[in-house]
Amino acid sequence: MNAFSNTIVAADRARPAMAGGDPDIVISADGLVKTFNGEVIALDRATFDIRRGSFVSLVGPSGCGKSTLLRLVAGLIAKTGGELSVLGHGVSGPSSDVAMMFQRPTLLDWRTAVENVLLPTEVKRSATNADRRRAIDLLNLVGLKDFAFSFPRQLSGGMQQRVALARLLQTGANILLLDEPFGALDEFTRERLNLELMRIVEDVDATVLFVTHNIAEAIFLADQVMVMTPRPGRLARIVDVPFERPRGVELMQTPEFNGLVGEVRSILGGH
Amino acid sequence: MSLAANEHFAGSPQAGSARALVIGRIARHLALFLSIIAVWELASATQFVDPLILPRPSAIIVALYGMLFVQGNAWYHMGITLWEALAGFVIGSVVGIALAVAAGLSETFRRYISPYVIVLQVIPRIALAPMIIAWLGFGTSPKIAIGALICFFPPFINTLTGLVNTDEDASEMFRSLGASKRQIFFSLMLPNAMPIIMAGLKAAISLALIGAIVGEFISAGEGMGVLMQRYSFALNMAASFAVLVMLTAVGYLLFVAMEEVDEYLVYWRSDARMAAMSRRCAKAWRAD
Ligand SMILES: Nc1ncnc2c1ncn2[C@@H]1O[C@H](COP(=O)(O)OP(=O)(O)OP(=O)(O)O)[C@@H](O)[C@H]1O
Ligand SMILES: [Mg+2]
Repeated sequence: MNAFSNTIVAADRARPAMAGGDPDIVISADGLVKTFNGEVIALDRATFDIRRGSFVSLVGPSGCGKSTLLRLVAGLIAKTGGELSVLGHGVSGPSSDVAMMFQRPTLLDWRTAVENVLLPTEVKRSATNADRRRAIDLLNLVGLKDFAFSFPRQLSGGMQQRVALARLLQTGANILLLDEPFGALDEFTRERLNLELMRIVEDVDATVLFVTHNIAEAIFLADQVMVMTPRPGRLARIVDVPFERPRGVELMQTPEFNGLVGEVRSILGGH
Repeated sequence: MSLAANEHFAGSPQAGSARALVIGRIARHLALFLSIIAVWELASATQFVDPLILPRPSAIIVALYGMLFVQGNAWYHMGITLWEALAGFVIGSVVGIALAVAAGLSETFRRYISPYVIVLQVIPRIALAPMIIAWLGFGTSPKIAIGALICFFPPFINTLTGLVNTDEDASEMFRSLGASKRQIFFSLMLPNAMPIIMAGLKAAISLALIGAIVGEFISAGEGMGVLMQRYSFALNMAASFAVLVMLTAVGYLLFVAMEEVDEYLVYWRSDARMAAMSRRCAKAWRAD
């Protein structure tokens, strides 16, 4: 069997021998493999390129290796095989160009919202007044103007995720990895936050890798959808999303949109 | 906004009736307590219960008054016992927390010490008290050692549990920010473990008091344990009860003091403290 039979490369271009060929490619994986304990194959030979400034969704059923892929890119775990580079350099650990947001808010209960937002700065150096102003601005941006000095336990789940989003932006990283950031929230809050997220990342001009279980959400937000299938975790296909931006929720009612949802569903169903 | 709502509630008409409810409840508890005392007094006064076994409450109060204000000997002995208990508490807690931090940070260290810790936990540690006195002699130091030994465990095991149960996602978040191990320890693991560490310390302070008194029972010339033993052997039950009342009061005060420290340090577990802190934080930020 062909080693890459299930792996479809985004663009069938001649791959440079070393990473860092095309300056427009910010994340590049080639035959990337991750196994746990030598036997669980969490990610099987994934090959893809992600362009600067693009919004890429990662969709697939539970256990197909979405979080594993994100944690590899974030430098939180080491790959087992293949190549992975970020901004032209092989990933060897966490980098300040990459920031990650988790399904749960992971806020520090003993810090106020704004102190939580300042955490990425304080890890590196002591915060200046300019840093503080930026943290407040980011809280305004995510709609938490009046809650800067509230503690996480005084905030709702949706508000906590907004704080986490502000903290993500405070890192100043331009590669943002979001692992089902709004997965634990109700549908209304989730839809609102998705729209806000779209608006915000357009503003900050970041490259985004966004994990979700929800096919419609994946398509609605993204320029490309990476479709993954489980056991072992494989990248089945990368689907281009042609819709113009800015997008509104009406898009989800159109036949073109639903056609694309059907296509992704059939890729997932076929495995 | 939620803060403003709370303040509004405090001044609203419902708050008044809530206060009346609380006063009513206190009154009922007080009434029950006083009836029990009255029945007890009567039972003892009419010789229904042998006063040698259960002295009259009024006799206990007289004894208490005497020991505190006439002879005044209680203060001195209480000071000794309190010193032994506090010193035992501090030593036991510091050692317990330090070992737990080492064990929490190094899995190897954890593996090596865990059998000893388990043995130390299953030994009825109080049984070591006579040996400790044999080793350390008759001063206050063996009582301190006994207190430290029996109070060491809750801070140890709670600190270890708290450190080991650090949220995996939160520590990944720290690592993704490029945080060092030291930063993760001080900014995440330690504050995260704080509530459970404080619960361990609350248990420890009561145990340290028990340790000091047991030490005094075994061999001592001074301290509340000595008073208790002396009065009980002399069948002066009213004075014995007075000692018990004083020890209870001290134990209670120590516990309440720890609760206060807990509330102060672990402000994020109390709604009122959180509200106060967030107001203070807002003011500090507006200043610069
Ligand atoms: N630390 C680990 N040790 C062992 N196996 C692991 C570990 N992390 C993940 N796995 C395994 O790797 C596979 C992929 O896990 P991963 O968390 O990436 O899935 P996922 O697509 O994010 O799923 P979900 O949508 O439920 O979050 C699973 O089979 C999981 O059991
Ligand atoms: Mg996951």
